[in-house]
Amino acid sequence: MTTKQSMHIDPYEKNWIRLSIGLLVMFAAAVAVAGFALGIQVPTSEQRVDPKTVAEVGPWANPGLRELSPGKYEAYVLAQTWQFMPREMTVPAGSEITFYITSKDVQHGFKLQDTNLNVQIVPGQVSKLTITIDEPGEYTYICTEYCGLAHAAMFGKLIVE
Amino acid sequence: MLENYELSPGEKKFIGWHLVFGILALSIGSLFGPLQAFEHAGLDLYPYLQPLFKSYYQGLTLHGVLNALVFTTFFITGFLTLTVTYGLTRPLRYPKLNAVGFWMMVVGLVTTAVPLLMDEASVLYTFYPPMQAHWSFYLGLTLVVVGSWVEGWGFYYTYYAWRQENKGVRTPFISFSSLITMVMWQIATLGIAAEILTMLLPWSLGWIDGADPQLARTYFWFTGHPLVYFWLLPAYISWYGMLPKQAGGKLFSDSLARLAFWLFLLLSVPLGFHHQFVDPGVPAGWKFLHAILTYSVFLPSMLTAFTVVASLEYAGRQRGGKGLLGWIRALPWDDPSVTAQLLAAILFVFGGIGGLTNASYNVNLVIHNTAWVPGHFHLTVASAVTMSFMGISYWLIPYLTGKKLWKPKWAVIQSWIWFVGMIIFSNAMHVVGLLGAPRRTPLGLAPYIPEEWNGHLLRVGIGGAIMFVGMYLYVFIVAKTAFAKHAEPATVEIPVAEAMHDPQETPDWLDRWVPWLIGTVALILVAYGPQLIDQIANISLTSPGFKVW
Amino acid sequence: MAGHKDSEHEEFHPKGTIVVLLIFVLTLIILWGSVYVILLSRGVTV
Ligand code: HEM
Ligand SMILES: [Cu+2]
Repeated sequence: MTTKQSMHIDPYEKNWIRLSIGLLVMFAAAVAVAGFALGIQVPTSEQRVDPKTVAEVGPWANPGLRELSPGKYEAYVLAQTWQFMPREMTVPAGSEITFYITSKDVQHGFKLQDTNLNVQIVPGQVSKLTITIDEPGEYTYICTEYCGLAHAAMFGKLIVE
Repeated sequence: MLENYELSPGEKKFIGWHLVFGILALSIGSLFGPLQAFEHAGLDLYPYLQPLFKSYYQGLTLHGVLNALVFTTFFITGFLTLTVTYGLTRPLRYPKLNAVGFWMMVVGLVTTAVPLLMDEASVLYTFYPPMQAHWSFYLGLTLVVVGSWVEGWGFYYTYYAWRQENKGVRTPFISFSSLITMVMWQIATLGIAAEILTMLLPWSLGWIDGADPQLARTYFWFTGHPLVYFWLLPAYISWYGMLPKQAGGKLFSDSLARLAFWLFLLLSVPLGFHHQFVDPGVPAGWKFLHAILTYSVFLPSMLTAFTVVASLEYAGRQRGGKGLLGWIRALPWDDPSVTAQLLAAILFVFGGIGGLTNASYNVNLVIHNTAWVPGHFHLTVASAVTMSFMGISYWLIPYLTGKKLWKPKWAVIQSWIWFVGMIIFSNAMHVVGLLGAPRRTPLGLAPYIPEEWNGHLLRVGIGGAIMFVGMYLYVFIVAKTAFAKHAEPATVEIPVAEAMHDPQETPDWLDRWVPWLIGTVALILVAYGPQLIDQIANISLTSPGFKVW
Repeated sequence: MAGHKDSEHEEFHPKGTIVVLLIFVLTLIILWGSVYVILLSRGVTV
């Protein structure tokens, strides 16, 4: 074969490729700023627990809020079919809450409405995220992963006053 | 080059069987879609399905498995059989091998369907442990996947035989891209193969006591993301390799089309953590790496956007279209196959934008597991892919059966109905998802629905009703065509687009397998290797199975 | 560039394509940006 080979990239298309790359770099930068400068982060690998015993021994045997210092809380949440323990928590406005969430049975989800707290709950793992809530009000947390027949009824309430 | 090549009656029948099973699955699976949409809108019809179908979730599992797994896999393997053999203008090297693969898929389908219909496997199409289905569900899925591999091996033998007969010739584009699709699929499905064979199957059989749900998710999404490319690439094959011809034009750039497919092979797999951004057991750094890799796989889709639109513009201008945008009107909108694919591509614009949003690391916190997500993938798999397959079948079924399409005008209307329904449905799902509505949830039963969701949920129902009409009009049209007693005979030419430049001018490195395969494996090792080793080394099989439906 | 193709193809400049794609890019920026803004407005998660 003697045909001459070449890439034949149309000049318009070349510019389009440049524009596409530029656009993606811009989005990536925006995401990185939100994540690493503003601190809007996703959960990371935290700790392991034994789902068979997690409801009996350790902090999830007694799920709920712990006040570390004024305005600083830890919330241990245990998910199970088909409820969250605790079902209700109350904190003052402006509190910083670190959530430690796990499940003693199947997978669940935890989404605190109107905030960025939205995690998968995987048995054997702990989903940890910290948020600060300034605005008083009632925030619903709902289960966002299919966890069996009554999944739709699985929710709780965080009251900020 | 392709003129006068004709598939044998046996080959046509073989491909036809793929479509029969695929479209049958689609028509059963789609029954539940509107029921789900109506449920969201406040009209719960599930009580009337008792005792045939027990719950919303049994229906949702059937909907996901039959539509997203069964319909797609059968349609795709059938379509690729056509594009491989027709493109290479030679029959399958070992037709019996492909037949074995196909019947394995059928046996797998039946094996999966039985526990599904008995409500013994209502675990949804992602089957996350420790929810535990009957073992036959996992076994059946395995057979479907392995059957598709066997069909793929048949393609490779066919390609090898062709290559021996045609040294130095560029692989014809439609065959080339089909082979890449299949290779990508075979690499990708190693994830669920590992998940099922090393964990779920022995666990559901009682041979091991527990599963590791986090590792299972990692395995699943190793396959789960490239799965969506396995659905999408056959649509791209048609958009690049066939649609330009159907529209009256040519493929704008053969070499960039090929480059896009290589990039899909290279980049489809090593980015599955973007489905696990909010998982507890994966380090955030790896999630960020996969986010960046996901951005890079957006590039071949941007290339596709340019090449496909430019090919269409060329077609429209050849047909007399004038002005900056006049060529759009000049396209053959009266051809049902073209219309279906054009509308599919338009919906895919929004699917792509949503996909980029999902992939954006922390932005995923806003939409993870909300109604936004099904809103998104009804634009991709249920529109870009499904509508393209509908469009393909509008010429393929006449080709296979030799019967003219029943009322092409109705087929054009069918696409528009789906398009309109989908716009209403998906917009409402996206919006209500942003407001916080969860997916996989019969919202009519949820005690926490704020007032402001209701208007959007109503639109979900309205859109779903219109889609229902669009779907079953499609099923009706193809059934009328295939089973017509006195149909006019059809002489269908398989649309294969010529490229503007002779493919022989496409550089040689775009027709070489080895370097690309090495790159693909290397990138997977880099992006997944350390995490896989870590998660496997620390495996804890602590979760017993639960049947909670 | 190889010089032996029919010139008809060389003449084709996909101007309309650029217009269509620019509309697409604009839509992309607006829609993506609007979700990004929602993210920013919903507070910090560390
Ligand atoms: C006939 C029109 C259709 C309607 C009205 C419809 C409606 C829906 C709705 C409302 C959901 C969300 C259910 C929930 O999250 O609780 C859903 C889920 C889904 N749909 Fe459809 N759908 C249709 C067709 C299709 C098609 C053609 C496909 C794919 C080829 C498809 C694939 C899926 C998948 C994969 C899910 C996710 C299932 C899961 O979350 O496990 N749908 N559908
Ligand atoms: Cu739950």
